Amino acid sequence: MSKPNDLVQGTLDLLLLKILALEPLHGWAISRRLKTISGDVLQVSEGSLYPALHKLEQEGWITAEWKQTENNRRAKFYSLTRLGRKQLESEAASWHLLSSAITRVVRLSEA
Amino acid sequence: MRLEHWWFTVPLRLRSMLRRGQLERELDEELQFHLEQKIEEGIASGLSPDEARYEALRAMDGLEQQKEEMRDMRRVNWLTDFTDDTRYAIRSLRRSFALTAFVVITLALGIGMTAASFSMVDALILRPYPVPLPNTVVTLVSTSRDNSFDSFSYREYQDIRGTAKSYDGVIANGAFSPVGFSVDGAATPRVKAGLMVSGNYFQVLGVEPKVGRGFRKDEDEVPGRDAVVVLAWDFWKNEFAGDAAVIGRTVRLNGTDFTVIGVTPESFPGMQIFARPDFYMPLAMARVISTNPNRNFFEDRDERVLSVKARLGPGTSLDQARSEIAVIARDFAREHPALNRNRGAAVRTQLDMRTRGDDPNWKFGVVFSILALGVLLVACTNVAGLLLSRAGTRTREIAVRLALGAGQFRLIRMLLTESLMLALLGGVAGIGVGYVCIEMFRQFSIPTTLPVTIPFRMDARIMFACFSLSVASAFLCGLAPALQSTGTDLVKGLKSADVDAPGRLRLWGRNVLVVAQVAISLMLLTASFLMFRGFQHGLVDGTGFTKVARDHVLMASFDPRLMQYDAARTQRFYELLTERARQAPGVVNASVTQNPPLGLDDFDAIAFVPEGHQMSPDRETFTSAVDTIDEGYFATMGIPIVRGRAFLASDTQDALRVAIVNEHFAKHYWPGADPVGKRFRLDGQAGAPVEVVGVAQTIKYRDTSDKPIDFVYLPLAQRPIPRMTLLLRSSGDPLEVLEPLKSVVRSLDPNLPMLVTRTYEEVYRYAAVEGPAIAINMAGTMGAMALLLAIAGLYGLVAYNVSRRTREIGIRMALGAAPRDVLRLVMGKGLVLVGVGTCIGLAMGFAVERLMNSMLFNSGGVDVLAYVIVVPTMFLVTMLAAYVPAHKASRIAPTEALRYE
Repeated sequence: MSKPNDLVQGTLDLLLLKILALEPLHGWAISRRLKTISGDVLQVSEGSLYPALHKLEQEGWITAEWKQTENNRRAKFYSLTRLGRKQLESEAASWHLLSSAITRVVRLSEA
Repeated sequence: MRLEHWWFTVPLRLRSMLRRGQLERELDEELQFHLEQKIEEGIASGLSPDEARYEALRAMDGLEQQKEEMRDMRRVNWLTDFTDDTRYAIRSLRRSFALTAFVVITLALGIGMTAASFSMVDALILRPYPVPLPNTVVTLVSTSRDNSFDSFSYREYQDIRGTAKSYDGVIANGAFSPVGFSVDGAATPRVKAGLMVSGNYFQVLGVEPKVGRGFRKDEDEVPGRDAVVVLAWDFWKNEFAGDAAVIGRTVRLNGTDFTVIGVTPESFPGMQIFARPDFYMPLAMARVISTNPNRNFFEDRDERVLSVKARLGPGTSLDQARSEIAVIARDFAREHPALNRNRGAAVRTQLDMRTRGDDPNWKFGVVFSILALGVLLVACTNVAGLLLSRAGTRTREIAVRLALGAGQFRLIRMLLTESLMLALLGGVAGIGVGYVCIEMFRQFSIPTTLPVTIPFRMDARIMFACFSLSVASAFLCGLAPALQSTGTDLVKGLKSADVDAPGRLRLWGRNVLVVAQVAISLMLLTASFLMFRGFQHGLVDGTGFTKVARDHVLMASFDPRLMQYDAARTQRFYELLTERARQAPGVVNASVTQNPPLGLDDFDAIAFVPEGHQMSPDRETFTSAVDTIDEGYFATMGIPIVRGRAFLASDTQDALRVAIVNEHFAKHYWPGADPVGKRFRLDGQAGAPVEVVGVAQTIKYRDTSDKPIDFVYLPLAQRPIPRMTLLLRSSGDPLEVLEPLKSVVRSLDPNLPMLVTRTYEEVYRYAAVEGPAIAINMAGTMGAMALLLAIAGLYGLVAYNVSRRTREIGIRMALGAAPRDVLRLVMGKGLVLVGVGTCIGLAMGFAVERLMNSMLFNSGGVDVLAYVIVVPTMFLVTMLAAYVPAHKASRIAPTEALRYE
């Protein structure tokens, strides 16, 4: 359905976990943050973002809390759980493995 | 890691389940917040508020679908949705009550019949022994060329028990035997079912008496010393009103006083399927109930009357046990070559024991189950057809749901929930139908000497089967319609209230259903017809005895051992009994027999060596079924003697030993020669010579569908048997000679009980009429049901097609088509379907015929008549079902048809 075609499969989870590892954020802020950090390269539509957040929540990796935003609106803030931190570590590790492997392949000189 | 994961997720799931409302509100709020932020962002970048709102909404397209997707993330959706779907299903089923009722009844009949057949299979094959760890209980059998389920003798049992290492205990029991029981010496004994068991029987089986105790080890060691008895629970309840004070009292069994030491627990009805023992006695007391006074139970190694079971030790595999028993059997053959040459031994599981090739009961159960599943299948296809046409009319509803954001999978689940509700209702009603069927089986009285328990019952196992069948049928009949209706083209679906998906594909499913129905019901009809013909065929050659005998014979059994008669006195008793009975008013003839033909007690077997017959080197003896009779038997039963003579009063104990064989026996061992005057030796080369003095016609011995067997008659005077059945042939109603008979018996011994008194007709009716009738009726009912369902299905299909094509037909007729052309157009399709179904059904019919022939009727070949009758009938009836709606279609007025829809 609304799979992020601009993101490598499965990396959305990693990105979300990583962003939430820095500080608790609500959904809107997460999408902003992704955009800014990645320099507009990574855009996640709402149709992928919220289902992904809910999935992470149901896996027990992140937890949600209703809090006031800086301009006094109620919003649902997500933060990383202990389980989520472990998950982040393992996903980050496998990402490094994968990306370095791909990098090595790409850098092969055509001699 | 796993555990920690659960620690986090279980509360989450619970929350999702229990606080749905709150979660929904939060979901709305979260998305609303996002939307507002987006609008603000838009305004900040210079758009007007309206434009910003529009942009934001567009960016977040399909809010509702997103929500649904997020609900899916909660993982408990299936449950919360299920309750919603159930509520919805109940509402919609209640709306279309007639359809619901029809479907439920259809499924109930299918499920009920399958449940009833399954109760047979369960009771006869699957139900485990009523003991702890039933799977570790195996049966040890002696094997020979003629019998791979033979018993062991007492000495052999002792040897096995002494040497086998594979088991936690080896037990033995004798045959289920009629024993004269009375509470004291003064009362007239009544016949009860006794079972001789080894002293460790209860202990090894793990059956601990709740009242009193089981046998002690030393109570089964010295022959004849310890007269102790353990009562069965039911017997104790019925005879002693469950009085615990019975422990320590004495009861009289076959004239010997036994001390009651215990009562089996209620949970242990015995190890047999059909029979429940009333009490258990140690093997050491065998003398009290041994049937054959000529044999020594404790000493004769070939007196093989004990069924031996064992409990596999922990860690012992079946294979280990098998190789061990093979070694033991080889030792037997080496140590006792005369008795054990060519004899092996084997370990059999419960399943092996219950699916023996020579036992027709379980085969009937299996065949019926297959047939019943066929009915259920037809019922399911019919229901599928109904749901399919209903799905057609719901296209719009489904399309609206899809347009509003329901996922296809979600809708399939909803529709399946509906069929599940239908099927479960059908299952519940099916349990009712099954219960009625099973009760009908149980009503059946079987004329045996000892009471027979009919083990079929509606229990938790059968109910579970009903439940599983319901769920399976829900999928079977719900899946296709659900897939089809949710795959609708949205735009078309929204435009029309009742749209057809692309024609061919849509009708394809229904065509398959009709073909399947026709095929299966043809198969079922063939099966029921064949069953009828099979039993009838058994009676074509007749039973071999005259109808007069069947209608005018009264039977009564006696066992003078109950009054402690010795062999000579027993002999004298039977002589006087027949002599005086013959003179009683209304009696034409009288004689005694050990077992009347077609009765339920099996015949004894003898081992013999025919003279002049070349024995193969690996064979010591042949065996044959045997009956012990007196000189009046053939005349009383009206069985013709085709050569030689019947027994005479001069064939006494001291005279030359004589026998009468049947024609089959004579042809078998002395083909082409005159059997009269030939001799055979009993029990082996060194046995007593017996001269054949006559040949009797081969009759039906065990049941009406049996094939001819070897059979030998021996005179009572030369083979004394204590327990005999008197046959009285009367000139009128056989029951009229009952009173005269009673006075004859009183004149001989006023205390001697007449054990079983019934007319021979009763026995005959059970064997030749009622038993087969039940089978024929069951198969017939199934065939008829399948046919009815197929008719309904075909009618429905053609009618549906006609209603679909009403406009088209109108146009055709307006353009000049005659009613005949319309009829052809509509019927043609039905004809093709019925034709294809018939061909497949025919093939399935042949397969079933082969199965039934090999399993039940021992006949080869194809019963052409069955097909000549069944196939055209089936064809005509189904064509009629198609004709009715087609005819209606051809009568449509074009003006009306064109206005249709």
